[in-house]
Amino acid sequence: MNCDNVKEQLPEWLNEQLPAAEKAVLDDHLAQCPDCQQELSATRQLWQQMGKIRVPEPRPELRMQFYAMLDEFKEEEKVQQRSTWAVWVQQLKQWWEPQQALRLAYSLLLLGVGAIAGYWLQYRQTPTMAYKQQIDTLSTQVEEMRQMMMLSLLENPSATERLRAVSYTKEITDVDGRVIDALLTTLNNDPNVNVRLVTLEALAELANDARVREGLVHSLTKQESPLVQVALADVMVQLQEKKSIKPMRQLLRREDTNDLVKSKLEQTIRDLS
Amino acid sequence: MLKVKAGDLDKMGLLFERYHRELFGYLYHMSGRPDVSEDIVQTVFYRMLKYRHTFTGEGSFRSWMYHLARNVLVDTAQKNKRMAYHHDMVEYDEKIGGDLAADEPLQKEQELAVLQEALSGLSPEHREVLVLSRFQELKYEEIARILDTTEGAIKVRVHRAMNELKKIYLRIEQ
Repeated sequence: MNCDNVKEQLPEWLNEQLPAAEKAVLDDHLAQCPDCQQELSATRQLWQQMGKIRVPEPRPELRMQFYAMLDEFKEEEKVQQRSTWAVWVQQLKQWWEPQQALRLAYSLLLLGVGAIAGYWLQYRQTPTMAYKQQIDTLSTQVEEMRQMMMLSLLENPSATERLRAVSYTKEITDVDGRVIDALLTTLNNDPNVNVRLVTLEALAELANDARVREGLVHSLTKQESPLVQVALADVMVQLQEKKSIKPMRQLLRREDTNDLVKSKLEQTIRDLS
Repeated sequence: MLKVKAGDLDKMGLLFERYHRELFGYLYHMSGRPDVSEDIVQTVFYRMLKYRHTFTGEGSFRSWMYHLARNVLVDTAQKNKRMAYHHDMVEYDEKIGGDLAADEPLQKEQELAVLQEALSGLSPEHREVLVLSRFQELKYEEIARILDTTEGAIKVRVHRAMNELKKIYLRIEQ
């Protein structure tokens, strides 16, 4: 421990603020170092002398003044609390001044007008609802019309008209039993190959219906045209319809079946089984 | 003080009785003027009432008191820049000097006067730490909290203040 450190700690030593361990180290050093001892005694002398400085007593008036101040403060505090109340009451009163009341009435009136306007607008919206319902009924009616038209068109002697009739089925969202029956009849009996092919295409899209599937399977043996037979075989693979294997075997056994069709059917049977 | 904070203002009387002498002592050492010190004591206690909500109860009441007292002291010094330490000090010394003369040798009394003059010659920062540690007998830790600094800084400051005091003392004595 060097002397500078020691000197720095002297006030602490005198102050009795030094931790015991540090005090012991310091005492050791002091015992061996006359220089520091001298420093200590000089500082100590000053320190002790400082302790002799007297502080005069504050005058007794101070106490009186303090209690007077305390009372005054308490009084003030009460007044302040009361005054905050007073401010509130005044503000409330202000609300009832004529001018303020008029403003209040005016704003309430505005509010009422707004509310009425809102209700009126809402009622006006009801006719539009009815209008929407009308449109809905209209569109279902149109759909029914289209269905009827399609059914009648299918019986038209012109192949072009019949083709158009089949294409209408794509626009009909709700296909019912009558339409399916009509389509199956067209598929089996229509004299035009093209019409039959288009009908098959339309029916393949409706294959979710069990009746359509059944009709398609039955149709296999009724077809004469190789084109339609091949197309049907393709649809069967597409639908993975295993029930079609039996009528296809029947077709294979028939004498008049085209050779190309036969190989196609054999291929299809293999694919399905 | 926490009771005062909670609204029991009468408890302030108790605190006054317990601490006003100590506070007066500090202010007296710092300003050297008993009249100013009394005024400040009054102001400090007024502020304690007014700002009682700022007392957190974390530090001791004493540190808070000294903290407030320092602020008032600074305010007063700024308001009245002419307020010097030693002029009135000497005047006041004579008053208590009369009491001391009866039972203490004249030489001792002179020595004390010199010491007080030396103290008044210190910079306020140095005087402050000596007053707080020597006269008010506060721990360095508490002084550090009052002055918003570290214990180490206080240690160094006290040491420097003692050296300074010694120098001034010797100069006056010669």
